[in-house]
Amino acid sequence: MSGADPAGPVLLACERLSVRRGERDVVRDVTLELHQGELVALLGPNGAGKSTLLDALAGALAPAHGTVQRRGRVAIALQSADLARRTVLQNVMLALAWWGVPRSERPGRARDALATMGATHLVRRAANTLSGGERRRVHLARALAVAPDILLLDEPFAGLDAETRANLLEDAVSALRSDRRATLVVVHDRAEAWALADRLLILIDGRLVATGPPRELLAQPPSVTVARFLGFDGELNEGHQTLLTRPSHVALDPAGPLRARVTRAVGLEDGVRLELELDNGRLYTVAPLPAPVLGDSVRVAVHGGARFPRADAASDQAAAVSLS
Amino acid sequence: MGLLWSELRDAVPLIFHGNPYLLSVIWFTVQVALIATATAAVIGLPIGLTIGLGRFRGRATLQAIANATLGLPPVLVGLFLFLILVPEGPLGGLHLTVTRRAVFIAQAILALPYVIALSAAAVQGLGSGLIDQARLLGAGRLQLYVLALREARIGVIAALIAALGTALSEVGAIVIVGGNVYGYDQTLASAALYEANAARYADAVAIGIVLTGVILAMMGGLGFLQHQGGGIRLRPRAET
Repeated sequence: MSGADPAGPVLLACERLSVRRGERDVVRDVTLELHQGELVALLGPNGAGKSTLLDALAGALAPAHGTVQRRGRVAIALQSADLARRTVLQNVMLALAWWGVPRSERPGRARDALATMGATHLVRRAANTLSGGERRRVHLARALAVAPDILLLDEPFAGLDAETRANLLEDAVSALRSDRRATLVVVHDRAEAWALADRLLILIDGRLVATGPPRELLAQPPSVTVARFLGFDGELNEGHQTLLTRPSHVALDPAGPLRARVTRAVGLEDGVRLELELDNGRLYTVAPLPAPVLGDSVRVAVHGGARFPRADAASDQAAAVSLS
Repeated sequence: MGLLWSELRDAVPLIFHGNPYLLSVIWFTVQVALIATATAAVIGLPIGLTIGLGRFRGRATLQAIANATLGLPPVLVGLFLFLILVPEGPLGGLHLTVTRRAVFIAQAILALPYVIALSAAAVQGLGSGLIDQARLLGAGRLQLYVLALREARIGVIAALIAALGTALSEVGAIVIVGGNVYGYDQTLASAALYEANAARYADAVAIGIVLTGVILAMMGGLGFLQHQGGGIRLRPRAET
């Protein structure tokens, strides 16, 4: 992952932004900045307010409170990759027409954007003959073609099967990065965030609860809520502290200091996800095959994790949020 | 049944006789249908699109009113129009009663609700994704309308077909405002009514058969445009 120039000017900023839908504050008191050259992922569980925040940042929704400041033109690519009943090239050119690009420039810019997204072979295809993955490529190309100063993408990889998503993600990683642009991508999957972003914003229940480089957040989540959201689903109580762990922190080790019993085993592609019950908590790990079975006693070693005061962990238990 | 068969048998030769009166009525009917439908389209499509795409207060009420006007009795429309156009009426100075122009106006008014209500419904049925995306990428109102018309062309052409059908076959309004004057402002439908009222049933049936043929030809033409691959092309094809 290449880092953005942190000194790039701020292109999009909001301060204490709240957005209301009906009687409910969907986005609450959000303050953030997007710098030129930055690629930022906005991550959150279903219903966290991610799309609403994006709409407000784009100016499509009026804030209930707070301010949004934009330097330059904002393009937003909605979650639904709806295309007009025309060819792929015509669809991208149509977007350029909406954006106000002179007619003579449209074919060239449309072809360039489609090439960037690896969709050159689709230019003559009718939009209604595209697969889901191809449609997403064209949708992204349409947003890139207009060359906005600020690009907001709402779940650009939604609704794709794992293989198609992985392929699209590989192309998008380089295509979405630009020194001239600030890009904010709403993602639903942590893996997409790790693959794409210089910086991660975590939105839970309408509030921005964490911001920082993905690896830093993963190494030291700022709160129990964020930790649980980032997949710290294991929990060991040690005196006044609670150690939260991800499966990668936990290993089956015959010489390990902890004794546990397998209480659940779920088969995965590359192994088995195990739930391990201990006297002072519950851990999760992914074990290679052949793996222990339900009821087995095993020894476990924990490498890493995040420690929090035990009271914090207990109070956050009820509000724990996780992506599965 | 015997009477119907007898009238039909007498009617067929009349159709192929090349009667100048019948030809003039056919021509006037086609003129009325095309002009009334075109007028209703020019006025009604922007209104239908505004109702269908707009985000303003009262939109649902407007839609309900547009739908309700589909049930307007043609006789009532004719009566109101007549009272407006008679010399004592607010537009009496235009001297339009018992003229061909009055027939055009009456049929356009009757066709208008079909264009408004059905085109609004057609663009509403598009789903918001593409239209919202266009809005967010800076599309202006005209661009949105053109996009919606193209995307909803099957429904929009259905609206025009319904309007054309009304303009071709409604008689309630035009006999009141136009007077159904023989050989002057008669459409095929009002001419058939005229002949039926005069108990010349074979002539009425002959006109009815011709009217059916005209309806099938004109509707078929629009239907063909509706279902052909590219639909109506509103702009020259861009480079592919």
